[in-house]
Amino acid sequence: MKKILLDAREMEHPKPFELSIQHLQTMTNESYLYMLNQKLPTPLLELAKQKGFYIATKQDTSQEWHIIISKNSTINLEELFNV
Amino acid sequence: MFSQGGLSLEQAPPLSVVLRFFLTASLFGILLGLFLLGSHFNIFSLSSYAIQIMIVHLLALGIMASFMLGALFQMLPVIAGVVIKSPLKKVTIVHGLFIVGFITQLSAFAYQSSPLLYLLSALYLGSGLLYAIVLMLKELFKVTTHSSSSQGIIFALLSFSLTIFLGIYLLLAEGGFVTGSLFTQVKELHYSFALFGWLSLLIVSVSFQVIEMFYVTPKYPNSMSNYLTFTIFALLIVKSLALLFDYPLPFIGMALSTLFLLYATITLDRLNQRKRPTSDATVWFWRLGMGLLIVSSTITLLHSIFYVEEQFIQLSYITFIGFGLSIVLAMVYKIVPFLTWFHLSNQGYMEAPMMHDVIHPKKAKIHFYVHTAMLLTWMINTQTTIIGSLLIIASFGWLLYNLIFAMKKYSYTQKHTQKIEW
Repeated sequence: MKKILLDAREMEHPKPFELSIQHLQTMTNESYLYMLNQKLPTPLLELAKQKGFYIATKQDTSQEWHIIISKNSTINLEELFNV
Repeated sequence: MFSQGGLSLEQAPPLSVVLRFFLTASLFGILLGLFLLGSHFNIFSLSSYAIQIMIVHLLALGIMASFMLGALFQMLPVIAGVVIKSPLKKVTIVHGLFIVGFITQLSAFAYQSSPLLYLLSALYLGSGLLYAIVLMLKELFKVTTHSSSSQGIIFALLSFSLTIFLGIYLLLAEGGFVTGSLFTQVKELHYSFALFGWLSLLIVSVSFQVIEMFYVTPKYPNSMSNYLTFTIFALLIVKSLALLFDYPLPFIGMALSTLFLLYATITLDRLNQRKRPTSDATVWFWRLGMGLLIVSSTITLLHSIFYVEEQFIQLSYITFIGFGLSIVLAMVYKIVPFLTWFHLSNQGYMEAPMMHDVIHPKKAKIHFYVHTAMLLTWMINTQTTIIGSLLIIASFGWLLYNLIFAMKKYSYTQKHTQKIEW
């Protein structure tokens, strides 16, 4: 699986939203988006769910969010947090 | 343009809901420049009072209120998570009544002897603007947990409704329909609620959310975001009562100026602590706006303690207008590229222009220079000048061009590129 990393922690809004959508629109079953953000990007997650993507989220000890979005339903997204 | 707190995609208003107000504001801006130019050459046979009141209303209502209503229709779902259902139909009514009412009002001011024009303008403008406020407040009152921004927007809208009611009284008094025994007091309250309530409270409320979100800055202090908007609104209410009961309270002006000084200083400090500073014209619009608010508030504060020359009082008015205009332009240059890109992307246009292609940052920067030059010209010479008028036309003309360019990009993409299901 190809990891597309998007570190949005210091990006000015709405750039993270724009870049994520760009990645989602071209995503294949062999890739996934790994996003780092200061807050949970609820609108992006809602859009992704609406479009049939699979999502996993995790907040680390420094309160930052790790978000994985994939088209592939056969993989365990939680495991990708450790990759 | 979405909050990180939660928002469904259906909540983004159609582009035309927002753009019609921005286009209207730009057109009224050009009209203001032409009117000032005409006044300079004594083309209009109008009294100086008529010219003055028309200029003030072109600025406050034709330009500022148009921008702010458009921005509110966009920002309400973002900031407060509230949605106005079937917005197109409702906004068409608001916009139509607003345009007709405002043009009638300008005509009433120009031909001061026509009571009918005063009555009609009160009717059209009052109903159009109050309808917009009811649409928004009705939804805002349903919200169970308010943020400092959504709470502040409620105070801003309440101030706007008071401004309108007071304005209706003034129009009816001018038309001879009411005695107008409280005309002077109501006039002062009308502009106090318009400038310090509606305009300032809206900017303050929105900034509590967008400064941190757009520019990745530290948060405002909780004491400020939690209490500032309520305090300003409460001071305005106390000022109203004091004026109506003829009990002067000079400390209110001092308190308001001090609060605005504090707010502007903290905003500038937050902008200076951006985590990833990029050269973005909208930040400069915010900085300019806050700098002008500091100048305006300082003069007002000094004026409430000492004697201040008339030219400095004029300067405080111009810098306050400059503050409002700078911030709405910062918002317009964030809102229009985002909405255009977002609607096209969501509709599945893979070749949707990126935000910086909708209105290139360089174009916004050009506008910043023209806008700054315009304000400097007016600050140096508060009398009507040819160059000052031409710079107003250039500023709003440039904005109009940028908005039309964005609209053309939108329709071109829809007509000439392919949609995908994603």
